[in-house]
Amino acid sequence: MRHKILSAGLALALVGGLAAGCGGGDSGGSANEISLVMSNHPWQKAIEPLIPEFEKASGVTVKVQTFAEQQARDKISLNLQSRSSSMDVFMTLPSREGLQFSKAGYYAPLDDYTSKSAAYDAADFPTAVKTGMTIQDKMIAAPVNVEGVVLYYRTDLFEQYGITPPKTLDELPTVAAAIKQKSGGKVTPIALRGQSAALPFTFGPFLHSQGLEWTKPDGTPNFDAPGAADVINRYATLAKDYGPPGVVNNTFTQSSALFAAGNAAMELESSNEISSINDPKTSKVVGKIGVLDFPAGTAGSKSTVLSWGIAMSSYSKHKDAAWKFIEWATGKATQLKLTTSGIAPPRTSVAQDKTYTDTLNTDTLQQWSKALANVQTNGSTEVGPVGVSAPEMRKVVGDAIGKVILGQSDATAAAREIQDGLTPLLAKNAG
Amino acid sequence: MTKPPAASGSSSGEPGAGAPPPRRRRVDPTARGVWPFALPAVLVTAVLVLVPIAYTIWLSVSDRQSDGTNSGFLGFANYAEMFGNPQFWNSLKVTLFLFVVCLLVETVLGLALGYVMSLDVPGRRIFQGMMLIPAITASVAVGLVWLLIMDPSLGAANQILAKVGIDPVVWLGDPDIAPWSIALVDIWQWTPFMALIISAGIRSLPEEPFEAAALDGASGWRTAWNIGLPLLRPVLTVAMLLRTVDLVRFFDTIYIMTQGGPVNSTNTLNVYGYHAGFVDNEPSYAATLQIALLVLVIVIAGVFTWFRQRAAR
Repeated sequence: MRHKILSAGLALALVGGLAAGCGGGDSGGSANEISLVMSNHPWQKAIEPLIPEFEKASGVTVKVQTFAEQQARDKISLNLQSRSSSMDVFMTLPSREGLQFSKAGYYAPLDDYTSKSAAYDAADFPTAVKTGMTIQDKMIAAPVNVEGVVLYYRTDLFEQYGITPPKTLDELPTVAAAIKQKSGGKVTPIALRGQSAALPFTFGPFLHSQGLEWTKPDGTPNFDAPGAADVINRYATLAKDYGPPGVVNNTFTQSSALFAAGNAAMELESSNEISSINDPKTSKVVGKIGVLDFPAGTAGSKSTVLSWGIAMSSYSKHKDAAWKFIEWATGKATQLKLTTSGIAPPRTSVAQDKTYTDTLNTDTLQQWSKALANVQTNGSTEVGPVGVSAPEMRKVVGDAIGKVILGQSDATAAAREIQDGLTPLLAKNAG
Repeated sequence: MTKPPAASGSSSGEPGAGAPPPRRRRVDPTARGVWPFALPAVLVTAVLVLVPIAYTIWLSVSDRQSDGTNSGFLGFANYAEMFGNPQFWNSLKVTLFLFVVCLLVETVLGLALGYVMSLDVPGRRIFQGMMLIPAITASVAVGLVWLLIMDPSLGAANQILAKVGIDPVVWLGDPDIAPWSIALVDIWQWTPFMALIISAGIRSLPEEPFEAAALDGASGWRTAWNIGLPLLRPVLTVAMLLRTVDLVRFFDTIYIMTQGGPVNSTNTLNVYGYHAGFVDNEPSYAATLQIALLVLVIVIAGVFTWFRQRAAR
C-alpha cells in the first residue's frame, strides 16, 4: 500500500504546473514602479542602457525582465492568462498574437493616453505601421521598430566567384547552385529559416512576390490556388539543396550565427539582423556585406514588413506610470537615440532626421536603408495567415513545408496539408 | 562478476549467528493521538495536489477561454478531439519511445557503471562526486550546452567527427535522428544518477550468498545474474521508477533544444500539452492532454509497483 501511495504521489505531482498557472498573482509594488517584460531583441538591447535616464527624469522605477523570444512569450502569456498585475508593460508582435490577445482582452488600449499627450504625436507613425498596431479601431501597442525580410550577401565571395547577386526569384537557385559548385561545397549558399513557427516570416515574401496571398477574400485558405505548390517548392528546394545542414531547426539566431561566422554566402533574414552581422564584436564579415531587396517574383519584390510594439497589460495596476514609460520609449527623442544602435525608426520624423541619415555612412548601411525603404513601401503586413489562431496557423504552414525540406512530402501534398490544416483554424475568426 | 568488498559495518560472520535485529516500532495510524500531528501535512498536500488535479479535470471537461471566462461543462468533447487528433498519437509514440530507450540504456549502463563505482579503488569518492555533476546541473543549462555542441555547422560534435573522418551528423535537424539525440543527452545526464543508486545498493548487499556461490563453483556471470540481480531488484526498481516518472513527463531538455521539432519528431505529450496551453491558448485542451499524461504515469508506475510486489512475494 505504501508503494502505491508513493507511486501515486509521484504521478500526481506533475499536474500542479498547469493549474498553478491559472490562478491569480499580484505583485503590488508602489504606484511609481512598473515591471517590463522584454524579448531578447536588438531593440531590447538598445533600450536597456537608456532606461536609467528615464527613471531619473520621471521618478518611475522600471523592473526589467528579459528572456529569449520564445521564453518571453511564455512568460507574457502566463502573466496574462493568470490575469496577473505583476507585469505592466510587455513587448508584443501584433502581427502574430494581436488578434489572439485582443480577443482575450489582454491589451489596455492606448488611444486615451496618446490623445492626451500633445508631445507624443501618434500621427508621426506611418499608416502601415499604425494599422499594424490597431485592432478594431483601438491602438493596442506603440511601435518600437520596423523590420522586413531582406537578402544579405557576401560581396567578397560573390566577387571571388564572379557571380552577380540575384535580383529575381528565378535567379536565386541558379546563384545558389553556382556558389555551391564554385566553393566546392565549403560555403553554405544561403542561410534561411526552417523552424516551423518561424518559417512563415521568410516564406511569406515568396508567396506575395508570386502574386499570392495567405487567404482568399472570403477568409478561407488560399493554398489550393494554382501556383501555391510552386511557391512551396521554390522555398523547400532552396532550403534542402542550398541551405545549411539541419535547416529545419533554424531561425534567425542560427542563420545569423552562420553568416557572421563567414560560413554562408547569403542570408535571407530580417533587416534587424544588421545589428548582429555588422557588429565587429560578433561578426567576421563586417565590411563585406551587401544588402538587396527581396528577389522579385512575377508580382515584383514584395517582402514582409512588421513592427514590434510595447503594450500595456489590461491587468496593470500602475497604468499611468506604464504610459509614462511607453510615451518615453516610443517618443521622438528616444527613437532617435536608438537609431545609433541600428534600430530602424518607425517614426517618419526620425527616419528623415539628419542626425540619423548621417549615420548611414557605409555602403552596407546605405544599401540596408534602401532595402528597408522598399520593405516599408511594398511589403505585406501579413507575416502569416491572420487570425485568432495565428501562432497555430504558422506552425501548420511551417510543419508542412518542413516535411518537403526533409523530403518526407512533396509540394503538392504540402499545399493540400496547409489548406486542410488552416481551414478549421481560420473558421475560428468568424466565431 | 565477483562481489565487491562490503562497506564497513555490513554483516559478516556465519549465517544465522547473532541476535535478530531489533524491530522498529511502527506507529499505528489509527491511533487517536496521531491526527493533530498529521493534519497540517495532510491539508497542505490536499491543497497543493488534489485541488490542482480537480481543477485540471474540471478544465478538461469544460470550455475555458483565454480571457479567463469558462463557457461551462462540455462533456467529453475535448477527449474526443484528443483521441481523434493524430498529433496526440504521435506525441504518445514519441513519449513512449524516449521512455523505453532512455530507461533501458540508463539501467544497463547504470548497472555497469554502478558496479565499477562500488569497487574499493583509490579516488572512488572523487569519481563519485564528479559523476553527480550532470545530474545536479539544471536541465536548461544542459540543453543549451548540448544545443551548441550539436550545432550541425559550428558545433563541437561534428568538428570532432570530422577529425576522425566521419561525415557530419544533423543531430537535431533530422526527424529520424533528433529523438536519438535527445535520448543521448538524457542518458548522458542521468546514467550517473542511476549508477550512484545502484552502487550504493551493491555495497549494501550481504556477502554470504556470493561466498556460497563461489564455494559451489558458480561462474562470475551466473552469480551476477542469479544472485546479484535478484538481490538488487528492490533498489533497481526504485531507481527505475524515479527515472520513469521523469521520462514520461519529459519536457525541459526538449523544450530548450527542439521545441518538439523537427516536424514534431520530439514532441512529447508534455511539450505538446504545453504548446496547446501557452502557444495555442487552448487551456481546456491542454488540461485534457495533462490528464492523459497523468493517466499514463499512473499506469506505468502501477505496472512497476505490481512487478515489485510480485517480486517481493
